[in-house]
Amino acid sequence: MPEMTRRKLIKTALAGSAVITLSGCSALPGRAGNNGPQQYAGAIGLPGGRFAVGAVSPEGNLLWQSPVDTRCHSGCNRPGTAEVLFFERRPGWSFYVFNSKIGERLHHIKAAAGEHFVGHGVFSPDGRYLYATASRFDAGEGLVAVYDSQHNYQRVNTLELHGTGPHQLTLHPDGQTLVVAVGGILTHPDYDRIKLNLSTMEPALVMMNRHSGKILHRFQPSHHQLSTRHVDVAPDGALYAAYQYQGPAHHLPPLVARYSKGRYEEIHFGESVQRELGNYIASIVAHPENNLVAVASPIGGTALIFDGRTGKVVEKAALADCAGVEALAGGDFLVSSGRGKLVRMGKGQPAREIASMAVHWDHHLV
Amino acid sequence: MKPLTPTLCLTLALAATPLLAADSSHIDHRTTDYRQQWHTDIRAGYQKLAAQGQALAQQSETYCRAPSANGLEQTKQAWLEAFLAWQKVRFVDFGPVEQDNRAWQFQFWPDPKNLVARKASYLIKDEAPVTAEKISESGVAAQGFPMAEYLLYDQAFSESEQALPADRTCKLLLAVTSHIADNSKTLARDWDDFRSAYVGNEQYTDATIRAAMAGLEILEERRLAAPMGLRGNGKRSVYSADAWRSESSLIAADASVQGLKQYFLPAFSGLLRDRNQAALTEDIEQQFDEVLANFPDLDTPMAPLLADDDAFRSLQSLYIDVTRLAALVNDRAAVALGVVRGFNSSDGD
Repeated sequence: MPEMTRRKLIKTALAGSAVITLSGCSALPGRAGNNGPQQYAGAIGLPGGRFAVGAVSPEGNLLWQSPVDTRCHSGCNRPGTAEVLFFERRPGWSFYVFNSKIGERLHHIKAAAGEHFVGHGVFSPDGRYLYATASRFDAGEGLVAVYDSQHNYQRVNTLELHGTGPHQLTLHPDGQTLVVAVGGILTHPDYDRIKLNLSTMEPALVMMNRHSGKILHRFQPSHHQLSTRHVDVAPDGALYAAYQYQGPAHHLPPLVARYSKGRYEEIHFGESVQRELGNYIASIVAHPENNLVAVASPIGGTALIFDGRTGKVVEKAALADCAGVEALAGGDFLVSSGRGKLVRMGKGQPAREIASMAVHWDHHLV
Repeated sequence: MKPLTPTLCLTLALAATPLLAADSSHIDHRTTDYRQQWHTDIRAGYQKLAAQGQALAQQSETYCRAPSANGLEQTKQAWLEAFLAWQKVRFVDFGPVEQDNRAWQFQFWPDPKNLVARKASYLIKDEAPVTAEKISESGVAAQGFPMAEYLLYDQAFSESEQALPADRTCKLLLAVTSHIADNSKTLARDWDDFRSAYVGNEQYTDATIRAAMAGLEILEERRLAAPMGLRGNGKRSVYSADAWRSESSLIAADASVQGLKQYFLPAFSGLLRDRNQAALTEDIEQQFDEVLANFPDLDTPMAPLLADDDAFRSLQSLYIDVTRLAALVNDRAAVALGVVRGFNSSDGD
């Protein structure tokens, strides 16, 4: 998209969001944070059991769609470049690197022998090193695999998590600390996705120095079956973790935790809201411009926004099979669903569908 | 690209669909009565499984104490009856069957790496005694119907020196079948204990309907379409089916449909009629009968039907009937009830 047009578009959309009659405008503002491209990429499921990775413009138009061999899960943008990565769904045997403008496939990197990826990665601030969560599956050991993108994604380091079943990781605003969700669930590729250790799980939220691999903090949820699967961090350094509960459906434990000012606390939204989340959160995103945090639950068919400081729910929408969340410039969120919908929601604004496509949006938007 | 103007945005705002309650995946009304009925119906299935599991363990013991050709046939028959009892409740994927991966313990499948055979070979060669503990710690591939099926039916194995009634193989058979018996007994007891949680919580209505939807989808896609060569590389292969060693892939499919009809359909029909879906309910009930009408002619091994184009037609006709049933339940009824089994919600990550 030409730069001038894009700026004009964002400006118009931002102005629009302040006016009631424009709140349903189908154009979105750009992504929040200003670093990445003004588009959203996601893994896609296609009719007939085929899979792709695709990118959508702020207007909800598909910009490109690039076929992949197997189902992908999430990925990350490489800072300072027009590259976007996607990891195969767990057990992921590879990740793909695409030109984020046109979708051309640049690299297809295989996992190291004895390891598989689990769906997520994050870059160092300079865009050089890729940190990818992975599993050394015969031993059931979680690790962060480090790749050098300036040398064709050569593997350069391995950081041990001392835990099982890591999933999402992100980078703390200090630029040095990785924040890793360690789900605690043992799986093995020979046994499909069977959870092999439900009675002895040890989930954790881990903070790790990305150079030395030293573990700085390790927080444990209030119940050993609260699998810590997704994380995000606010610009002020507050961490948010989202759980997937492995116990009976009629238990309603807290599913979100916050670490801020030295305290790790879990947030319970009250019984009726918890029920609508189905003991399962697929994504959590802290908005970089305000104190709002959004979560999506495909099992509950619910997306909601809460105030990160108070834990109070400020907006909630029923959205079937919703999973992906991204922060939009201006303070709103974008939510994607397995039914091809893109929905915008924000504080004081009812959820609005801005696009509906004949694809399954798979889990995460990046 | 056209710059967006307020007029355009206003138009789009009017066209945009607000998210309605109908998009919810929850059934809002009280459905306690239906859960009471489901609990009772599924209980009957679990009781039957517990009884057949017990009978299989006892018959295995009788056979191994005094082996005979006739005794082996009786043990195979006991295996089949217990396996079919499991097929009838196999769709239930919530509640106590979730604990300790019990469903996987009963039936580890699919098994593309042939772990069942590898585990069997390891356990038979191993010098340590075959005990209940040994089976408990050997993983799900060693703990259920496929392992017992391997010992009883596998062609190459049954021609080997270790074939039944070899001492160590008998010990393994006894340990596996008593593991199945214990598991099925515990499952039936836990299902009874689960009653108040199940009946008292609305979300189990969704869970029960989704379980049946998943059961139909697995039947259609993985148990039929895959071996029929309608997916993947397009090649017909009986090894993609379940229970190919005992040649019971199709009779097991029959049992799964019967199980859904007996244990799921009665309360489901009531719920649908309650939601003013009488015509759809009749279509679904009729389609269950259409599927089952393919049997007992199809209670035969699948392999010869895959090998012969004429015989293959009977399989195609079953497949088409199952596809229609799945479309009625998973698309039309699920939409009418607002139950969603989604791309993301059924993934788990």
